Amino acid sequence: MSRKAAVAVLWASGTLLATVAAVAWMTVGGPRTVFLVGDTTGAHHQIEMACETCHAAPPFASPDVASKALNDACRGCHEVELRDADDSHAATLFRGPRMARYRQALDPRLCTSCHLEHRPEITRPGAVTVATDFCIACHGEGEQDVRAARASHAGLAFDTCATAGCHNYHDNRALYADFLLRHAADPPHLSVPVHEPSARARSRQAPAARSAPRPTAPAEAVTEAALRAWSHSAHAAADVNCIDCHAPAAATGAPAAALAAAWVATPGTASCVHCHDAQASTFAQGRHGMRGHARIAASRDAAGALTAVGFGAAVGDAVAAWLADPPRPSAMTVAEARLPMREDARHRTLDCVSCHSAHAVDVQFAAVEACAGCHADGHTSAYFQSPHYDLWRAELDGGAPGSGVSCATCHMAKRKHGGKTATSHNQSALLRPLEKMIRPVCLHCHGLGFSLDALAHSALVARNFRDAPAAHVPSIDWAVRHAADDR
Amino acid sequence: MAKFVEALALLTVDDNGDLLAIPKDVLDCAWAGAALLDLAFAGRIDTDLQGLVVVDRTPTDDPGLDRVLGKIANRPFGADARRWIRELASDEAANIRGATTARLAAAGKPAAPQRGWPWRSGGRRRALLDGDRRAAFGARIAAVLQGDEIPDPWEIALISLLDACDVLVAILPARAGDSVPARVEQLRGLDLIGREVAGVVADIERTAIRAVRARAARFRRLLLYLAGAATAGCLATLALPRVPISDRFGAVAFERLWLRDPWQQWSGYALLAFSVFGLLALLALRLRAIARAGGTHWWRLVHVGCGASCLLLLFAHTGFRLGVRLNAALMGCYLAVLLFGALTGIATYGARPLRKLDALPKLRGHLLRLHWLALFPLPALVVVHILVVYLY
Repeated sequence: MSRKAAVAVLWASGTLLATVAAVAWMTVGGPRTVFLVGDTTGAHHQIEMACETCHAAPPFASPDVASKALNDACRGCHEVELRDADDSHAATLFRGPRMARYRQALDPRLCTSCHLEHRPEITRPGAVTVATDFCIACHGEGEQDVRAARASHAGLAFDTCATAGCHNYHDNRALYADFLLRHAADPPHLSVPVHEPSARARSRQAPAARSAPRPTAPAEAVTEAALRAWSHSAHAAADVNCIDCHAPAAATGAPAAALAAAWVATPGTASCVHCHDAQASTFAQGRHGMRGHARIAASRDAAGALTAVGFGAAVGDAVAAWLADPPRPSAMTVAEARLPMREDARHRTLDCVSCHSAHAVDVQFAAVEACAGCHADGHTSAYFQSPHYDLWRAELDGGAPGSGVSCATCHMAKRKHGGKTATSHNQSALLRPLEKMIRPVCLHCHGLGFSLDALAHSALVARNFRDAPAAHVPSIDWAVRHAADDR
Repeated sequence: MAKFVEALALLTVDDNGDLLAIPKDVLDCAWAGAALLDLAFAGRIDTDLQGLVVVDRTPTDDPGLDRVLGKIANRPFGADARRWIRELASDEAANIRGATTARLAAAGKPAAPQRGWPWRSGGRRRALLDGDRRAAFGARIAAVLQGDEIPDPWEIALISLLDACDVLVAILPARAGDSVPARVEQLRGLDLIGREVAGVVADIERTAIRAVRARAARFRRLLLYLAGAATAGCLATLALPRVPISDRFGAVAFERLWLRDPWQQWSGYALLAFSVFGLLALLALRLRAIARAGGTHWWRLVHVGCGASCLLLLFAHTGFRLGVRLNAALMGCYLAVLLFGALTGIATYGARPLRKLDALPKLRGHLLRLHWLALFPLPALVVVHILVVYLY
């Protein structure tokens, strides 16, 4: 064979081998980071290697099928969020033929019309990938032209709709006109500034502490520190003993040998979920726990896929191992966060015991110190010089329950559900847009106008509301004027 | 006296027997001029008021020249030298070259065919030529150009013809090329041809030189501009910031090119098509039958043109976005292929203005090698890039 022919053969076979390897990694198993066409947004970067979560369409599916699969995935994971938002632009509103013109401009039925993943260059706050003035697509002319319909809106630029604190695309529960009118006369600070759900939770009668709870654990497994922390905890008071978390397989009163055999020194999150499934499900909806969401695709079964196409025994363990997906951690680590974090916390993993220590289960610690133990951004640092923190200290020093404002008060709002007050562990739920925080949190202590002004002022948010709002959002004034004009 | 066609056959190949980088169109014109000059020097043709006429029908010992002689003799209405050169270049150049090469091969000692890596080869093989005779021609031309002696008209005509083909630099030893343009001009200024031989020879010589120069300049300039544009395009893609995305909804329609399907899809397919066509043009250059059919210069033009067009399509596909991970590797590889190809083009077709650079032939070889090496991973990267789009 001539040298020229040898080069051609080498080139062709190298190209074929590289292509086959890439196809195997894409379809069977193996590392896939190299195929990412752009960095994933901060919300999804934890699950970017679980590609099938979003890319659920079969290979080479038509654009329509691929788009449907993508949008179904969005709605599947964000189902609760969309339902709670009482979505102002719900997809169902845009199905009829009357809406064809709007669908052509910017199809509101598809999440991907405004939210594209792996496009960091055009990704704006809220993972929006269309221009900020996108409202013009439907509200710029015709019967939906707000500038013509409302004198107060004449001449306003469309890039201010969602950035000036007046409107949101999805969630307008605290921004619609009737609500604004109802709260038009609110003072900045209410006469009884108490966050009622927190007050209910904190004034709940705790189970009476047992004088000398007896741990059910092998003697060698019990440490003095763990015993002391547990004996003062709600778990001990509620008669949740060591065995319930460390050896759920062993029956109460089991012989020592059976207990030792069933003993798990470090029980995982599953032991918490066994009793706290409501907290676990909301935790999985937020950024802290999204890796545990039920809809996140599992690692691919490379060996099974090879067997299915007839290569099972033939390819052997080595190829199957080479084609195995890289190990995927079940929980996020602080090091993976894209927000400023404390250097000494980078090794930590985000699970139940990250905030609630394993034995003490201290909810007061979890409400402030646990957050500040990892987060090192300006908003967190400023909290300790803010009036909110002073109120929190005052409550801990014997003030009225619910009068203090901890990190959890705003970011993990308590809700009454089925007669019980439960804490949402989805700490991202009220973050974007910030106006989502108004009804469940701010309005318990502040008036609507004050809340709108404070949340619209990003520098004030960064300073953790240490000062009074300097800017004013005119939406209440305009709503009042518009109502007066109508009369 | 040696024949022009023989000298041309021997001096338009390099030491390995490879054809020098002369556009086929230009070389065909040179073959036509050489054939007419041979017939004029042999006293077979002359000029009258109607153009070239045959004055002596006695056959030469060269079938190619005899065919040309017959063609001129059988034309009822004469044509001037310019028209004959144009016609012979298109119709008879291959016959003249074939007959000359066959005669030289029969008389000479066959050289061993060269083997080498594909990127080391510059053109089609010419293995059956007499190396000693070629060296003698080269030495004689070098002596005339580097010395002060007054050459004979035949030598001046040959030197002018080779100079018009841009191959004198390749014939002369290193550093000898500096004074060549001045010396050629000096020799032509002496007008030895006009003074010493028949007017028909001077007329044909002037016409042939003019025709060859015009054709050489046309292709050289076009290819040089394309290669220069491609180089500038590559550097712009690497250096310029990506085209910013407007923050106004629907304000700039061309943003869709690199943000939305199917625009990006179509520009990608067009890019793929031009890349494949450019590669096929290169293969056509290497396949003798196809190259002869289309003319090497046209395939070379297609190859360089496809490369330059790919840069426009690359802009439409990416808007100067270099991508990340696999896409960055693909973009880097693609730009390397285009950049080294464009620089090779400049080194090849800018030979006349850059002739003072001694290292140019060596540099051209390095650039060509890099052009090939960068091409190797490209097909795999393109296939995987397309698969990623369709699988995810």
